[in-house]
Amino acid sequence: MEVKPRSWRDRGLQAATLPLTTVLMVFFLVPLGLTAVLSFQSTRYYRLVWTWDLDTWVDVFTHVHYWSIMAQTITMAAACVALCIALGLPVAYAMAHRVSTLEHHITVLIVFAFLTDAVLKTFGWVLFLDRSGVLNGALDAVGLGPAATDILFTPSATLLGMVYNLLPYTIFTIYLSLVRIDRDLVLAAYDAGASKTRTFLEVTLPLARPGIFAGGVLVFVLSLGVFLEPKVMGGGTSPMAAELIRQSFETRVNWPLGAALTLVVITIGAGTLGLAALVLMRLSGRREATR
Amino acid sequence: MSMHRLETHLANILLYGSVAAVLVFFYVPIATLIVFSFTESRFLSFPITSFSLRWYGELFASKDFWPALTNSALLAFVSTVFATLFGIGGAIAWIRWRFRFQRAFQALTFAPLLFPQLLLGVVMLLWFSVLGSWLDFSPSLWTAIVGHVVYITPFALIIIAVQVHGFDDTLEDAARDAGATGWEVFREVTLPLIWPGVVSAGIFSFLLSWGNFYITYSLSGTARTLPTFVFSGIAVGSSPIYPALATLTFLPALLLLGLADFFRRRAAARRAIPVKSE
Repeated sequence: MEVKPRSWRDRGLQAATLPLTTVLMVFFLVPLGLTAVLSFQSTRYYRLVWTWDLDTWVDVFTHVHYWSIMAQTITMAAACVALCIALGLPVAYAMAHRVSTLEHHITVLIVFAFLTDAVLKTFGWVLFLDRSGVLNGALDAVGLGPAATDILFTPSATLLGMVYNLLPYTIFTIYLSLVRIDRDLVLAAYDAGASKTRTFLEVTLPLARPGIFAGGVLVFVLSLGVFLEPKVMGGGTSPMAAELIRQSFETRVNWPLGAALTLVVITIGAGTLGLAALVLMRLSGRREATR
Repeated sequence: MSMHRLETHLANILLYGSVAAVLVFFYVPIATLIVFSFTESRFLSFPITSFSLRWYGELFASKDFWPALTNSALLAFVSTVFATLFGIGGAIAWIRWRFRFQRAFQALTFAPLLFPQLLLGVVMLLWFSVLGSWLDFSPSLWTAIVGHVVYITPFALIIIAVQVHGFDDTLEDAARDAGATGWEVFREVTLPLIWPGVVSAGIFSFLLSWGNFYITYSLSGTARTLPTFVFSGIAVGSSPIYPALATLTFLPALLLLGLADFFRRRAAARRAIPVKSE
């Protein structure tokens, strides 16, 4: 396929890009700018006052409360990434290299589970894990006593919900990097006498690293904004950043504070992404060099 | 058994086992909801003693259900149209052309995907509140549509871009040589060739919007959709109408995925590439 250079005077290029660019500038970039501006204002008696000072930011950086919630959020996000990769990698590998006859059906099943309403699925977990829910009912029926499990409304339940909702992102990114691997490299390793495990560890895994990395980063960034799982499954026992942000907007009607906290979370996310892009470039640069 | 065979067996057990385990994991809450939707009891407790369709009846009788359903459908339909149209243009510009500021264009069109949805919703709500105080409007289904378009377009763009990537552009040249105008080439050649990607992008967009909670919750004001209707309901206490509602909302997803599968097979058959799963 030939890639064609186009000038901005080209009608086709204008039609293809300008409506989308306009919408994203007006409803995505401008709001981000506005958020930054708001974080330098203050509120008095629940009303926004234009002050242009650093009071809100001083507030954010001096309150231990905010820091501990931020630390909690990052810890949960990191745990979620670790679990998603541990679960997603074997599934992606099996989809790419083992279950070829069933691959499409498995993909459809995962996509279907991914695309159904997250609120309802989270509610489904509540019904499953509840004291009088399916799990305890089943355990009781086999004689393990009533209310054998009690994980609902704990941080573990929140984590379970997060992994549940974000796992498809890791499966699909890792899968994409695995199917692109040149099969000849794997066969060459077998010819050279390497065992399956050794080939996996020394050939497949390094080649799949960008996909694993990208999946992990995406899950991390998306984990920073979860609100449904801590609220519905965690029972509000382990507040995370998104809940804090929502409260500062709704309960305290403090827009500058909400805006500043939003920017903190966005910065952590963007910082992670930037760092990840650097590492990925280093990884692919090293591969070019050794080729 | 040799070491090598043993190793292969262990690897297979691990791999097949993980696929089975993850599929079970994905379907635990879905199966739970479907089973509970047929309970007779007012209390959602297991094991279920008697089955009935009682709660489906209660759901249809609930006056909040129908507006939520029509709002969800309208929101998903309009968002899908815009996200897919924007996705087609964006994908062609991403893959087929080179132009000034292309990198900036690519970064801008991809960025919303990398934002947690709640934050995307919050920053847009701030802007709509300011705009609303200037232009005298308040958040409604229409502001939610804008939010959905911003969030969903990157997904649609990526799906169509995959299709554009395998594009045979000599067909376009041939049409142009035969005297077709730019618009005719697009309508008669380009669009039919990328159509399978456009259809799956449309289906994906519809379902992303249909099941979306965070952005709708932030931007829809007093208008309720099915996900926000459920959220406000389960926040107060679990009523047995929600499993029934869940079971009903799974239906469009099932239907659309079946449709997507049909289009994929037909496209594969047309290109005479054997369908992998058969």
